[in-house]
Amino acid sequence: MTDGWQERVIDEIAQAWTVTVKDIKVYYLRPGMIMFGVLMPFFLFFSFSIRRHIAATQGEARLLALTLLFTAAAAGPFIIPLERRLGTYDRLMAAPMSLLTLLLGKMAVGALFAIAVSLVALLAGVLVFGVAVAHPWLLAVGILLGACCFAALGLVFGSIPTRSPGDVQMPSVLLRWGLLFISGVFVPLRDMAPLARAVAYLSPLTYAQDLMDHAVAGTGMLSPHLDVAALLLFGILFLSPSIWLHRRSRQLGY
Amino acid sequence: MVTSHDVEAIEVENLTKRYGRPGEGVLAVDHISFAVHRGEVFGFLGPNGAGKTTTQRMLTTLLEPSEGRIIINGYDLARDAYPVKRQMGLVPEESNVYTELTAWDNLMFTARLYRVPRKERAERARELLQAFGLWEKRDIKVEAFSKGMRRRLSIAMAIVHRPSLLFLDEPTPGLDAQSTRAIRDLVRRLNAEGTTIFLTTHQIEEANQLCDRVAIINHGRIAAIDTPERLKRAFQRVQSVEVALEPDGQRHGDALAALPGVTTAVKMGDKWRLYTQDPSSLLPLVVDYAREHQARIVSLSTLGPSLEDVFLEITGQSVGTVRHETQEGDGRRPGMRGRRGGRR
Ligand SMILES: Nc1ncnc2c1ncn2[C@@H]1O[C@H](COP(=O)(O)OP(=O)(O)OP(=O)(O)O)[C@@H](O)[C@H]1O
Ligand SMILES: [Mg+2]
Repeated sequence: MTDGWQERVIDEIAQAWTVTVKDIKVYYLRPGMIMFGVLMPFFLFFSFSIRRHIAATQGEARLLALTLLFTAAAAGPFIIPLERRLGTYDRLMAAPMSLLTLLLGKMAVGALFAIAVSLVALLAGVLVFGVAVAHPWLLAVGILLGACCFAALGLVFGSIPTRSPGDVQMPSVLLRWGLLFISGVFVPLRDMAPLARAVAYLSPLTYAQDLMDHAVAGTGMLSPHLDVAALLLFGILFLSPSIWLHRRSRQLGY
Repeated sequence: MVTSHDVEAIEVENLTKRYGRPGEGVLAVDHISFAVHRGEVFGFLGPNGAGKTTTQRMLTTLLEPSEGRIIINGYDLARDAYPVKRQMGLVPEESNVYTELTAWDNLMFTARLYRVPRKERAERARELLQAFGLWEKRDIKVEAFSKGMRRRLSIAMAIVHRPSLLFLDEPTPGLDAQSTRAIRDLVRRLNAEGTTIFLTTHQIEEANQLCDRVAIINHGRIAAIDTPERLKRAFQRVQSVEVALEPDGQRHGDALAALPGVTTAVKMGDKWRLYTQDPSSLLPLVVDYAREHQARIVSLSTLGPSLEDVFLEITGQSVGTVRHETQEGDGRRPGMRGRRGGRR
């Protein structure tokens, strides 16, 4: 048994990472993940960007924002209900670690997935379309934060008490589509009517898109500091409904 | 921290679980109380739907009780789950192994999750895989494993961190005789090494073979807690012989009930079920009876005790009162009414 809190913290970090690595091995190549996490953002990007003349950098920023949202948020609603059905989630819930540790481990699964896919999208942009990234460091921070924030959003859906991924996958996809249309991805923020813009400020995707605009094209409208702070805040906020929903599951027996 | 030696492994007070909304939901566990001593094999015996899994899930922190208190190794589970979780191992009803991983990776994952020190992990995994006869298959993905192999692996995963308290939910149904024996031997060995074992089962024979004490649960309530030896008397009283006679099977009821050794005769469709402590002596009497009365025996069989019957016997209700019309039995003792624990 560990004594000090330092050892406990080390234990919990190691346990979260253990969960992450296991999920990567088990789930990354599953059709459900590929379809909702990889194909969908690219499909959306091409269906909305083809035949419109936008600069390569603009397109790259949009593709990255889309990828972060769709890929990071795909993991939670797929993995957790599936594990609940197979009973393997019990193993995690019974293990000597805090719920937050488990959630952070699961969040990292979605976040790393999104980071990997967006790096591919970035590489393609740089190599094929000659995109020159304006602020590489800002981009790195943006990808990391966006991935974590949207993975936490996915966790909220994954935490809903159910044993069937189908129950939560569609609602979570619909929500992501909804975010897409209110968040200044296809219509830039500065071209929006005031009311629409007010709504856009409620969406984390708005800040992710703006941050990508800054980092890739150097053209964002809001302050990058605000973008970073907003993504961080949304990410932390998204954890609390997940914790509440897990408590609820423990009462209901899922 | 409490480490005194006379602390019970598990103490449960008034434990209750209601699924769904209060008032309209299912009352799966109904104010049960019991204690499991350190170092014993404690059987939790009951028919399907009795509330066994629900109880075990509450004891292992997976389900929140609606009411009541659980104290494990001196820690109140509602407040201090962490130290308890480190000390317990859990084998659920369905083998919850990762089918996409190899047996080796499954074990290493669990060892890491329970923070088994790096140096010991591989050693421990090898030891367990060898003991469970899975060493040759360690690099095969578990999706290719049989049910028995998965079960053995899931037990290995539950004890990789050497828990002092092991929960097993129906470890043997659906397994062949050899796997069943291997698992029972393993339970005995773990117990001999000092592990306290909480064993959920619906097989009377399994409880008899393995347990120091057995709790009998039905409809969410505990009817009795005792040694298998003493419960056996209740089990024996509800063995039975079932016979169908032709023609006119119905009219033999009274005469069959009067045969020596029969405690109760219950009509089950076209058959008569004759409860007795000694089915093997009753069989020839039934055959003689049929011959004397020129009745043809359409079917004749002996039945071991069913849990439902054992439960009724122990709670002092007449066998057969619930679902079938009954003939009055003679001289049946009221049986052991809920000894320790168990509210009725
Ligand atoms: N998640 C749930 N939601 C609602 N009702 C439930 C839930 N789980 C179990 N029940 C009900 O609670 C009762 C007890 O179920 P439980 O699974 O604890 O029985 P059991 O003794 O383990 O039975 P078995 O031998 O079939 O495994 C049953 O009536 C069951 O239908
Ligand atoms: Mg059960």
